[in-house]
Amino acid sequence: MAERNRTRRRQHNSENFMDYSLLFIVLFLLGFGMIMVYSTSSYEANLTYGDSAYYLKKQIFATILGLIAMMVVANIPYHFWERFAVIGYIVSVVLIFLIIPFGHESHGAKRWLYIGPISLQPAEVAKLCMILFLASMICTMGKQIRHNKGFWMVLLVPMPIALMLWQITRNLSSAIIVVGIAALMLFVACPDYKRFVLLALAGIAGAALVVYASVHMAASQAGETEGMGFRFERILAWLDPEAYASGKGFQTIQALYAIGSGGILGKGLGSSMQKLGFLPEAQNDMIFSIICEELGLFGGFAVIIMFVMLIWRFMVIANNAPDLFGALLVVGVLGHVAIQVILNIAVVTNTIPNTGISLPFISYGGSSVMFLLIEIGLVLSVARGIRLKDL
Amino acid sequence: MMEEKPQPHMTYHRSKTVAVMFLFLFLFAVLMGRMVYLMVFRSEYYTMRAKELHERERSIKAARGRIIDANGRILADNRTVCTISVIHSQIEDAEEVIAVLCRELGLSDEYVRKRVEKYSSIEKIKSNVDKSVGDAIRACDLPGVKVDEDYRRYYPCGSLGSKVLGFTGGDNQGIIGLEVVYEDYLKGQNGTILTVTDAKGVEVDAEGEERVEPVAGRDLYISMDMNIQSYATQLALQTLETKEADSVSIIVMNPNNGELLAMVNVPEFDLNDPYTLPEPDRAAEAAETADGAETGQEQETEDASEQDRLNAMWRNGCINDTYEPGSTFKIVTAAAGLESGAVSVTDTFHCPGYIMVEDRRIRCHKIAGHGAEDFVQATMNSCNPVFITVGLRIGAERFYSYFERFGLLKKTGIDLPGEAGTIMHRLEDIGPVELATMSFGQSFQITPIQLMVTAASIVNGGVRVTPHFGIRAVGTGGADEEAFCYPVQENIVSAQTSETMRYILEKVVSEGGGKNGAIEGYRIGGKTATSQTLPRSSGRYIASFLAFAPADDPQIMAMAIINNPQGSYYGGQIAAPVVRQLFENILPYLENMDYNKK
Repeated sequence: MAERNRTRRRQHNSENFMDYSLLFIVLFLLGFGMIMVYSTSSYEANLTYGDSAYYLKKQIFATILGLIAMMVVANIPYHFWERFAVIGYIVSVVLIFLIIPFGHESHGAKRWLYIGPISLQPAEVAKLCMILFLASMICTMGKQIRHNKGFWMVLLVPMPIALMLWQITRNLSSAIIVVGIAALMLFVACPDYKRFVLLALAGIAGAALVVYASVHMAASQAGETEGMGFRFERILAWLDPEAYASGKGFQTIQALYAIGSGGILGKGLGSSMQKLGFLPEAQNDMIFSIICEELGLFGGFAVIIMFVMLIWRFMVIANNAPDLFGALLVVGVLGHVAIQVILNIAVVTNTIPNTGISLPFISYGGSSVMFLLIEIGLVLSVARGIRLKDL
Repeated sequence: MMEEKPQPHMTYHRSKTVAVMFLFLFLFAVLMGRMVYLMVFRSEYYTMRAKELHERERSIKAARGRIIDANGRILADNRTVCTISVIHSQIEDAEEVIAVLCRELGLSDEYVRKRVEKYSSIEKIKSNVDKSVGDAIRACDLPGVKVDEDYRRYYPCGSLGSKVLGFTGGDNQGIIGLEVVYEDYLKGQNGTILTVTDAKGVEVDAEGEERVEPVAGRDLYISMDMNIQSYATQLALQTLETKEADSVSIIVMNPNNGELLAMVNVPEFDLNDPYTLPEPDRAAEAAETADGAETGQEQETEDASEQDRLNAMWRNGCINDTYEPGSTFKIVTAAAGLESGAVSVTDTFHCPGYIMVEDRRIRCHKIAGHGAEDFVQATMNSCNPVFITVGLRIGAERFYSYFERFGLLKKTGIDLPGEAGTIMHRLEDIGPVELATMSFGQSFQITPIQLMVTAASIVNGGVRVTPHFGIRAVGTGGADEEAFCYPVQENIVSAQTSETMRYILEKVVSEGGGKNGAIEGYRIGGKTATSQTLPRSSGRYIASFLAFAPADDPQIMAMAIINNPQGSYYGGQIAAPVVRQLFENILPYLENMDYNKK
């Protein structure tokens, strides 16, 4: 098989594969996202800026930039990027550190860097660079990865970035995604299952312990709002959002009202009530709840199915990639998108505690869309290495 | 570079990528399950909660039912008033709005400007604005200015029947009188306007508004005849003035069915202004001298005493207060005596001017004594020794059982709030002296309406009726008509006893102590009373007279009670003429009205 891969790579590009399905799904999600960004933000944008398309225009601008970047990346053979793996890692660290002096604060979190008119989230850069770095590292390690030393190396390398994202940018969800991407790439690269099952069990046990501890602490510190208790308020608000309706549970409650009141068929596109100031900044992380309110269970399912199709395309491309590096790049992007979608929907439906995380391609946010499109460009570039007759 | 590091792309990589896919598919399935739970099974709950969050409710007051007298005259009505408010977000020309509101409402520019320019969802400018002014503002058709109509209770007859009709409070709820008792019929059902608003409370036009129309209250038709009420009030006021009494009450009732045609308690108060106390007058001065020693304490309890004075002003003496009925109660003693056989009309007695009961010497009002007299004459003379004799003959136990049978121990069940109960000895405490005093209407207390109803049942053939004003409630356009039924107890006394009592009481008016109540051409029965109030040393009296006509077939019964008259205080002298004047006017009127010939 290795033989065949090598021969395939030598083939002329014109006979190679362009994944239009993937491209179409991404374009559909972007288009749908823009409709929903307009629907969710127009009322508030009109009140605040006197221009109901204020957010939509910014989103269109970022999307066009992103699409251009995607097409450029898609046309560059993906091995070109391998040499930047280490530099990328260092750039990520530097960018995150730059947040401390130059970070721009918005919504109570310091997560943005402004370069001229363009805002940049170092977390997005870090996710992309991490995919690249790990793919390169795993390929370099070869069979060493089967040993414990290699295994832990791959797991430890993203930890500094994850810790910095968590502590400096106060962005736990990005940290989780970085670690999640690493774990998934490692999982694909290793032949065994045992260690991963143990790792997963340890993770679940750890999460359960945190939940138990926070409930226990809250009970023993009843009446005390300061101190340790309030750190776990997010978890307590998850367990009983209505009890924390004016604080940490507020956003969750409003999202649940939106989702629940949507019902099976929804109120109709544009007819959300919750976006009229009840659910603040509905175009951001909580956009899925407004999709559910306006388009109902069917709309929500349709969005999930689109993401499932996207992931399925990723899987097909990964499994037909010309080499391991390409496959790992695609697996990394798959992990990024899938984890982020699942976390987002889980947060919005209050399945897990609230943590700020956007819905890929749909939520408002320029740097998120741009870096996601660059990642899609990478995947398309890998896909171009596939010969049509091999499919 | 690519050639240097050929990486094998193993099969297990592929199967693991598929495993990753399935892991994510599983997680998506879990989330979809969660969505089904939220959007199907919990949808109703969240929809309800969201709706509560999005809707603002404004209520539309229901028009309160009117109160209408026996002749169709409206005694309590609603007047439309307007509330003017501004909605900041809908105002287009703030200056014009300020100018118009200042002009029409007569408010200062500063006051209006402050409210118009305030950023709030809705700001009230002025309430209780006349409808004409509200209409004028509405005619200007200014965006952002809301004119909401509202109702305020209005009593066209002012103070007439004030203590009976009662008035309403700020939320149009009954405070006293019929307004309280018939609250459920009168109040109707408020409507609501539900408007959908955004988080700041600004109405979302596209959603429109949901209206639940108010249901107007039902009109209450009562038996009060405002012509009689009005004339009785004049008479009572006149008596109040000339006799310098504390209060004068007049009740007019149909003894056959308990319908009350008038109930006067002067001084009355203005129903359209029920919270204004009268100027400190003679009554207040009298109260002050009586409580002279307590003036120091009065200062501290200023607020409490203000409320107490209001309650005193609103008090309906005919039903809220008890008194010792005195000689009018001899009707009951006589009926009990006749019914029990303890006395017959032809029995003869001798009155020496007093009677000894155990060791007590109880005087007759005529110190010289009435001498020899039969029972009819004794009643005409209102002779205490004779009634004591009759009472003692009946005996405590039987007398008590007649009290019970006549309904004197229960309340009458009149449809007015706060009826007072009877204050009576317990049976085991009734010794000869108590029995003797009870026989001529002392040592126990009943309400005037109780005496009236008991007397009615004795002269009407033995039917105890429930006194009432409410006849029927009728909804808008005649819908929901409900005629009220009142309990009736028959065979209180035999027809024979009743007939005898009518005969005796006619004699009282035609030849006896009640002759000041006689009117030429009419057969009138009645009984006078003069009772001294407690403590006996106070020198305060209550003069009363109860009469009915025609004496052989009572169709109308009236009672006048004069509380603490100055000068002459005998019921026969001062109360009987009041009822006579009343009857002189209303008997021809009632014949005209064909009221008696139902």
